[in-house]
Amino acid sequence: MVATLIWVYSVMFFFGIYFLLLFVVLYMRNKEKLNEFPPITKEYSVSIVIPCFNAEKEIGETIKNLLKTKYSQLKQIIVVDDCSTDNSYNVIKEYADKYENVLLVKTPKNTGCAAGAKNYGAKFAETDLIGFSDDDSRPLSDAVEKMIGYFDEKKVAAVTSCVMVQNKKNFMERFQDIDYKVIAWSRKVMDFIGCVYVTNGPLSIYRRDAFEKVGRFDEKNMTEDIEVTWNLLSRGYETRMSYAAKVFTIVPKKLGVWIRQRVRWNVGGLQTLYKYRKTFLSKGENLFSNFVMSYVALSFILALFGFFLFLRYVYLRAGKYVLAIPYIFKGYNPFAFSEFYFPVTILFILGMAFLALSIYYHKIALKSFGSKGKGIWTILTYIFIYRPLYTIPLIASFYKLAKRDIGWYTK
Amino acid sequence: MVYKITQTKYRAFIETLILTLLILLIGFFVGYFVESARTGNVVSAYKEFEVTALDLKLQNYYYQIMDSASCERAIAQNFIFADDIYEKGLKIEKYEQANDLSEELLLEKKKYVLLKTELWLNSILLKKKCEKPFNTVVYVYSQEGDVLKKAEQDALSGILSKLKEKMGDEIILLPIAGNIGLDIVDLQLGIYGVTYLPSIIINEEQVLEGFHSVDEIEAYLK
Repeated sequence: MVATLIWVYSVMFFFGIYFLLLFVVLYMRNKEKLNEFPPITKEYSVSIVIPCFNAEKEIGETIKNLLKTKYSQLKQIIVVDDCSTDNSYNVIKEYADKYENVLLVKTPKNTGCAAGAKNYGAKFAETDLIGFSDDDSRPLSDAVEKMIGYFDEKKVAAVTSCVMVQNKKNFMERFQDIDYKVIAWSRKVMDFIGCVYVTNGPLSIYRRDAFEKVGRFDEKNMTEDIEVTWNLLSRGYETRMSYAAKVFTIVPKKLGVWIRQRVRWNVGGLQTLYKYRKTFLSKGENLFSNFVMSYVALSFILALFGFFLFLRYVYLRAGKYVLAIPYIFKGYNPFAFSEFYFPVTILFILGMAFLALSIYYHKIALKSFGSKGKGIWTILTYIFIYRPLYTIPLIASFYKLAKRDIGWYTK
Repeated sequence: MVYKITQTKYRAFIETLILTLLILLIGFFVGYFVESARTGNVVSAYKEFEVTALDLKLQNYYYQIMDSASCERAIAQNFIFADDIYEKGLKIEKYEQANDLSEELLLEKKKYVLLKTELWLNSILLKKKCEKPFNTVVYVYSQEGDVLKKAEQDALSGILSKLKEKMGDEIILLPIAGNIGLDIVDLQLGIYGVTYLPSIIINEEQVLEGFHSVDEIEAYLK
């Protein structure tokens, strides 16, 4: 049993260290290119579609913000009201009446998902490129122009942006700020090997003919932005990320909302993995089938195994004390004779190597945002307090899967 | 400038693989070195008892031929031995927990258990020969077990340490692993009818199964 566990831990450490190191190695080799983006040589026309459902408080600001976009060929801002029950429609109409390039369209009935509203809005776009943003996202005015140049490469079908957090007041918001920065950094690092496997919802631009060719967004998938990217990659297209194109988004303030959001992300990720399972290790020009799929699948497996091993560790260490509670009433003091003794073992050393690498990984990721980065205690809190919260939506996602509580068999 | 993905992207995967294997190898090497050193310490700590074992054997011969005038000195000596073995045993077991019980370690552990059994037998002999009685508390525990068993054993072990602290030279406390495949231990446990681990054998008269409080144990002491 012990020998088996040592092997399980060792395999986990192997993959954990390998993936962390891969990001560090790729970053080290390309760090001077992090904020680079291709200049605009051809002015592609662009439409931006914003799905809106009951966002009367945010949608006006979102449109106003997009109107400040510097890119001259932004022809249309198509705002799709997905049959909101609040005052969203009237707010959008005010802008549509006032600005020529703001188009208000309304779905015949509520589509029930962002993908539905986005697809509906996409029908009205007649430009070379079609971008999508969320009703609560705020791209910086130069974000679009920092993404356009990538489309000079014929194979590039989508370009995504760097999402950052707008609200950073409480614990959840502050740590999501770190989370988003680390995610954005790691995504950009993946860009160096052509493995951008998510084109995010807050701001991504697609080549319209490629987007149409792959059948637009999958409305049965809970994370249409992941699915459409995999769809493009599996057909040999390339997807890119512009680290310099910043977009701000509002993140959940409360744990419950955060859990629901992450469950959606996880389930959507698993749906996508399942849908594209046959492309695993099939021959392709990009690393999608050779690396991305195994990386995403292993991330889920490692997180799940890690959680169960952690539970086992807690059970063995703390369980002894919990089970000793009845004896405490009979005079046993569990702390009277126990001396603190933490033996250094092979697994402990590997664990420390993993932790040190993990701290370094987060440090360089956060430092890439220009500031001094975050202190060691913030990173440790992020690793030991915030990240373990990931297991709640992870377990909930697998529970949903077990119950088949999702639109599982898509296509 | 149109940004091109490097043609040598696969090189990063190979480089990372080499680095990962290097880190793992260093980790395994250092870890193995540390664990071996600790096992070595435990083994050598057990080996130190070899002289003590011979000493005990000679004491046993002596107790058989001595007269009652030497009792007080013999009992005092027996206590010193027992306390010394107990103290050293606590330290060794702490280090032992960090490592798996390897074949080498198991063999040394068996020698150690035999030594404690010999001390127990010496104590029985002394009690029979000398008029001055003293208490022997033999704590027989299981070498293996689930968390529930460990919790019970830790609690009982803590209680016995408390008892020893309280009673001092009035008791000889002998923790003995009851299930590591030693015939003499099996024989003793059979004689006293020990069927459950952990148990406490008090003065070779009373067997208390499982957890008991200090007061409960004390009630059986002389």
